[in-house]
Amino acid sequence: MIPAEAHGTIALRASACTSCMICVRECPTWCIDLVSHTEQVSEAGARRPKTVNVLDAFRIDFGLCMYCGICVDLCPFDALAWSPEHDHGATTAAGLVQGIKELEMAWPPTQPPTGN
Amino acid sequence: MNSHGRIDVAPADWEQVVSGLQREGFTLFDFITVVDRGSTLEVVARVVNPVARVPTMVWTTLPADAAELASLCSIYLGAAWCEREAAEMFGVVFIGLGDSRPLLLRASLGEPPMRKSSALVARAIRDWPGAAQSTDDGRQGGNPSRRRQLPPGVPEDFLRDEPLVSGTTGDER
Amino acid sequence: MTLHSLPSLESRYRVTGHPQLRVTILDVGLACCALEVGAAITAGLLVPQESIDTESDGFVVSVLLISGTVTDALAPGIIRAWATLEEPRLAVSFGACANTGGPYWDAPTVTKGIDQLIPISVYIPGCPPRPEALVAGLVRLSQPSVVTHSDPSGESR
Repeated sequence: MIPAEAHGTIALRASACTSCMICVRECPTWCIDLVSHTEQVSEAGARRPKTVNVLDAFRIDFGLCMYCGICVDLCPFDALAWSPEHDHGATTAAGLVQGIKELEMAWPPTQPPTGN
Repeated sequence: MNSHGRIDVAPADWEQVVSGLQREGFTLFDFITVVDRGSTLEVVARVVNPVARVPTMVWTTLPADAAELASLCSIYLGAAWCEREAAEMFGVVFIGLGDSRPLLLRASLGEPPMRKSSALVARAIRDWPGAAQSTDDGRQGGNPSRRRQLPPGVPEDFLRDEPLVSGTTGDER
Repeated sequence: MTLHSLPSLESRYRVTGHPQLRVTILDVGLACCALEVGAAITAGLLVPQESIDTESDGFVVSVLLISGTVTDALAPGIIRAWATLEEPRLAVSFGACANTGGPYWDAPTVTKGIDQLIPISVYIPGCPPRPEALVAGLVRLSQPSVVTHSDPSGESR
């Protein structure tokens, strides 16, 4: 039995990610890669449009990842979390790289984010 | 000796001070290691008085470009292993150390790898994903005041004057 | 003594829950990942066998399991271990160090991915991977998408 709090893999909730790059820059193995662009968003009542980052791509290379959890701990927006999912083997090294879709699939539905 | 059991000695007194400690009852040798402070290397030996259960650390400071120190092998046989390691990893020459062959690394590796001046080439030649920045949606310029972000562990000028890395460097996106 | 001259280091296993799998594993346990292989056996996920029934239907394979950090100094030993393995054989890279160098990706002495040395059929991520991930990886070996890297000369590339 794998416990629900097991550190099987790292999951992403892309809607919470602000593309702040903290996880990318703090990762000791450089296994996270993030692509984003800025957009102007006009909000009702606001004088000027707001500039926001829009996440285009978020990849974790689980071939390199040492599962230290620094990214999970540091994410200010709880966009990253531990997940007990573990079956991510692949037949090629490139197959260990996961994008937004795969990372979101591992998001633990019952577990609260483990960030501070 | 201060309350923390730390003794600072001149390199010339290194062997004599440790020898005195051994005669005083510090018969157990624990380790020797090195701290790289840039222009200087600090060498530290930890010895223990096993009866009184008191440890002490002896420190000395060497110039990084002429790091030579007397070996403690004649006092503690076990110091040889640590001194070989310190020689291999930090390039300290221990005078009187009989066998200074590398324990782990091949001689072809070049500079002692634990010296801070020994840059990790893998970090310098790979594009650091942390250098990427948000692109703008058609607005001019982005933010030109943003400094180029260097990855940790790569000296600012390392490989910069050579045409090794051509084209994109990751931060031009 | 080299890996090449050691007698019969391989062990034979059944994989719990996957009766079709009969694996002979040469575990090259080079770092902490090797403990997870031991954990898989203690947890009963892999059941040691005296011998392997190669006659009846099933997936019978020799597996070179690299669980740990491979340094450049050790690389020739890995290549020899692969060459000694009986066919049909497949190699599994277990854990971040074997996959890419992992935490040691920037170290000058560590091989950045053992697929530079031998053909790898399944890569299992983790630092270390869970014992269950090892089983999942072994099961993946029997999937049709995995190519058997057999070589009539008995030499690895």
